Amino acid sequence: MNVDQTKSQFVAVASIAAELSAVMDVAKEISLAAANAKAIAFRAGEKAKGFQPITDFINELAKETIDLVETINEHALSLYQLTVDEHRMTEAYKRFEEVSVLAVGSAYEDSLQAPMANSHQKMLECKRDFKLNVTLLLDQLAEVMHPARAARVIAANSRIEASQAGEYLQSLQAVAESVDNAAQVIHDNVQRCRSALSIVDLIE
Amino acid sequence: MTSIYDGPYQWIMFGRDENKPENIIDTNQYMVRTSNRCLLIDPGGVELFAPMLAAALHYAPVEQITDLFASHQDPDIISSLGLWDQALPDAKLHASALWEGFLRHFGCETIEYVPISDNGGTINLGEVELQVIPAHYMHSSANFNIYDPQAKILMSGDIGAALEPAGTPMFVDNFDIHVENMRFFHQRWMPSNQAKRVWIDRVRELDVDILAPQHGRMFKGDDVKRFLDWFEALQVGIAV
Repeated sequence: MNVDQTKSQFVAVASIAAELSAVMDVAKEISLAAANAKAIAFRAGEKAKGFQPITDFINELAKETIDLVETINEHALSLYQLTVDEHRMTEAYKRFEEVSVLAVGSAYEDSLQAPMANSHQKMLECKRDFKLNVTLLLDQLAEVMHPARAARVIAANSRIEASQAGEYLQSLQAVAESVDNAAQVIHDNVQRCRSALSIVDLIE
Repeated sequence: MTSIYDGPYQWIMFGRDENKPENIIDTNQYMVRTSNRCLLIDPGGVELFAPMLAAALHYAPVEQITDLFASHQDPDIISSLGLWDQALPDAKLHASALWEGFLRHFGCETIEYVPISDNGGTINLGEVELQVIPAHYMHSSANFNIYDPQAKILMSGDIGAALEPAGTPMFVDNFDIHVENMRFFHQRWMPSNQAKRVWIDRVRELDVDILAPQHGRMFKGDDVKRFLDWFEALQVGIAV
């Protein structure tokens, strides 16, 4: 792996943490919007009867997203540590190769073989673990897309239900709009995480 | 590579690396080699790891490099730690207890960190027991020298250091001329006249034949006393 690839890897893994933090904020906003919608639907009474179960569903989706992002965040942190480890192991092995050239003819050059082989093995293990974790993280990110997509469908249903809520129409439509926007933001952020990881995944 | 003591064990000095990049400071590294163990004193920065280990392999197999010592925390002293950590999983690093949390940033997962208290201590290598002499604030806030009473060598870290061009001789040959190579370094890097006086008093109690700094030339015989006298008269901490 060359210097630019190593940099890309560090930047990609760090940017995932930033994107996920934004996803978490948006999911919390959805949860707040759900609570707000519930209060409006309660005040609207019969006129917003169809809206009430939707608010519970929105809240569940927000919670599901928050839980998933928390788990993914832990994995992203592990991935960052693996990136550091892999960088250290690769760097160490590269230096051992330099030593083996410089030490030719020295009395104890053979003693370098064991630590060098050990370093090579550790480097390969780190690369393997990194790849495995990237695949795992990609799968988890795909999972976060599901509640985001479901939220967009719910937002569409919410608009229909809101249209029957009389004087509460505007408030409930605003809720539907905010859920839709939030779901779109989550979708876009997660998509960016996946793109960044896919680039890293291709680095040999 | 220069042998500076050859008795029941050896002291070897490494320095004047011709392949060192121009923009990094030249450093002296020291090895104490006993029959089956080896201590590397201030093993150097990351850039120096490969030539340092390759040079060490002329004297000892990897598995007998059992101990490292860092006089203080500077990168030219010990930023190679993360690489030694991969090469010497069973080794010990002797360094100030105060610097432990900082030095671990360089990578120290397999090497055992042996913390040295402010009062100093000893490093026993079998044939020789080295004394770890406090030299705090000279220049680092937690700073140590290594003294070998048998070989009469004091490895003095940055004390006595001079920044000179590549190819400089190993020993001071004309003290009066050499003074100008040291003056600014000591005035600017050493922060405390009080700490300096304490260190000089302590070192005058020791029988020192070679004073071996981490940069520049070593002092031998009467030049050790000349250095102490010159340093005693020098005002340090000039940047304030």
